Amino acid sequence: MTQINPIRMTISKKVCLLGDFAVGKTSLVRRFVYDLFSDKYISTIGVKVSRKTVVVPRAHDLVELTMMLWDLGGSEEFDQMRASYLRGSSGAVLVCDLTRPDTLERLRTYTGELLSVCPRVRMTLAANKCDLTDQQRLTLVEVEAFAGELGAPFYVTSARTGEEVESLFRQLGQLLVEPGGGASRGV
Amino acid sequence: MDSSRRMKRMGTSVRRMGTSVRQMSTCGQLVLQDRRIAYAITDRYLKVVEVGGAVPEVLIREGVVDEADDGRTPVRYIREGDDHIRRDDPRTWLGRSLPELVPDLVGSEDALADVLAGKLPRLELCWASREPDAGGATYLTMVDLPYRDQQGRIAGIIHIVQDVTDAGLMVRQLVQNRNELRLLRDRLAEQNLELAVANAELRRLDEIKSTFISVAAHELRTPLAPLRGYLEVLLDEEIGHLNDEQREYLAVVEESARRLMALASNLLDVTRIEAGRVELVLRPADLEALVGTAVAEYGPQWEARSQHLTLCAAPDLPPALCDEMRALQIIGNLLSNASKYTPEGGAIRVSLALAQEEGFLQVSVSDSGVGIPPEDQPNVFTRFFRARTAILTRADGAGLGLCIARPLVEQHGGRIWFESEPGQGSTFHVTFPIADRPAPDLSA
Repeated sequence: MTQINPIRMTISKKVCLLGDFAVGKTSLVRRFVYDLFSDKYISTIGVKVSRKTVVVPRAHDLVELTMMLWDLGGSEEFDQMRASYLRGSSGAVLVCDLTRPDTLERLRTYTGELLSVCPRVRMTLAANKCDLTDQQRLTLVEVEAFAGELGAPFYVTSARTGEEVESLFRQLGQLLVEPGGGASRGV
Repeated sequence: MDSSRRMKRMGTSVRRMGTSVRQMSTCGQLVLQDRRIAYAITDRYLKVVEVGGAVPEVLIREGVVDEADDGRTPVRYIREGDDHIRRDDPRTWLGRSLPELVPDLVGSEDALADVLAGKLPRLELCWASREPDAGGATYLTMVDLPYRDQQGRIAGIIHIVQDVTDAGLMVRQLVQNRNELRLLRDRLAEQNLELAVANAELRRLDEIKSTFISVAAHELRTPLAPLRGYLEVLLDEEIGHLNDEQREYLAVVEESARRLMALASNLLDVTRIEAGRVELVLRPADLEALVGTAVAEYGPQWEARSQHLTLCAAPDLPPALCDEMRALQIIGNLLSNASKYTPEGGAIRVSLALAQEEGFLQVSVSDSGVGIPPEDQPNVFTRFFRARTAILTRADGAGLGLCIARPLVEQHGGRIWFESEPGQGSTFHVTFPIADRPAPDLSA
């Protein structure tokens, strides 16, 4: 039986949430960090930084990982600033809205920007709003194909119900503590 | 170190920054990459500068720095909640790195190092938002600049935090409005697309229906021609004498064949009109003569019902510009309807005059029938529509006459309308352009 050692390391990583406006980035963070959800849509301007510490296994150790979650405004008004926000990111959660097919297409642009600034960034993809079953316009095949192109795990999530939100971030956390997991160093 | 000395030192640090720090301020020290950094916080700015020389054990102080900035200002503690940049006790900041104290700088360590090394002139983070426990939102703009000592060497970092909440809330509202509009626009575009698809499907089905009606009408009409021909031969007794009973029966057959032929022709007209395949041959025509022809054609119909017809034509009317065959059809449809809905022995009036609208002639056909209920009036020109009164009075017809008449009148450049009251009869009016005015542009 494998012996798991107590926490040996504490690290902090910057994680960006990227996606078009109103896809649910802020709601995913609120669900993950505070386990809250609100139906009211409030646009994010600039960046809102939240933190959540999770314990993830690495080899035979446990690592305490503090994820600094950078919830970036998805509106085109912030396109010019986005590169400066992305700098130093170790991980990214890409978010699209299952009810708006163009939000998946827009992720190509965001991913391009991200990789140009942070080539070693680790990513997961969230196909959000899966609770709106009768409004879905994106197929899982399309989402899976895009995630496959990026080599990123994808999750079908709902910030409203909390479905797969924890898994989404924990999977990214796991990727971040693996050797070579992202760019930024521990503090 | 006594408090006055520490305060003086703190005041010195602030002066060395070369900035005027006013209003309520907090000063202290933290360590960034092994450099000892003193900081000063006002309610608007947080600034971090390196302190040269030996660092006393305790440098954390909160105080008010006055306008004179002379280092002799009284000390007071910042109350919990005054500082929305950090909530914890500033005395705990000692020995911690800048990214530890400012979470927004996690991941920016390399950039900060570049600022310290002089490779990057500044690091800026716009619209960083906070959500205070009290609710609402605070927006900050953070700038990290190199701090230079008196020799001009980079001795630390000045971390400036500006509270831009007022502007941030306005920008957020603007962005919010724009985003909501974008969502609405996208939803509208999606709905338009769905409507376009549904419309295309309806058009396709409508075309199938029109094709079916057209084919059916043709197939009905083709055998009717020889049928009516042979009936005529029989009724003319070309092949033998008919007794009264035979003549009566053949007359019923002939009337039914005529109605069937009229129905088939109307159906064909409807499909042609819908497909835009009706072409008019416009020529000057004597509208009074046309009305007379129509009256004569429908004469047997009202004679059979003992209806009285009055024709009133104004003198010296100019010719109308119309397609004679179609004008006859329009007037005939109005006369036929008037007869159908007028009870036996009732009166029908046809008048012909200059229209109020300049350049037009007007034909009006009034009946003394049951009239059209107000709730049915909007549908009078709809194909296959039959008013309740038509069903109650058992008037025959398929509901096509007016539906055909309207587009034909409009194609002439004229108008068709009616007035009706239940129990008072109906009057239908049509106008045709006068021939001596320029022909209307029918290409549109």
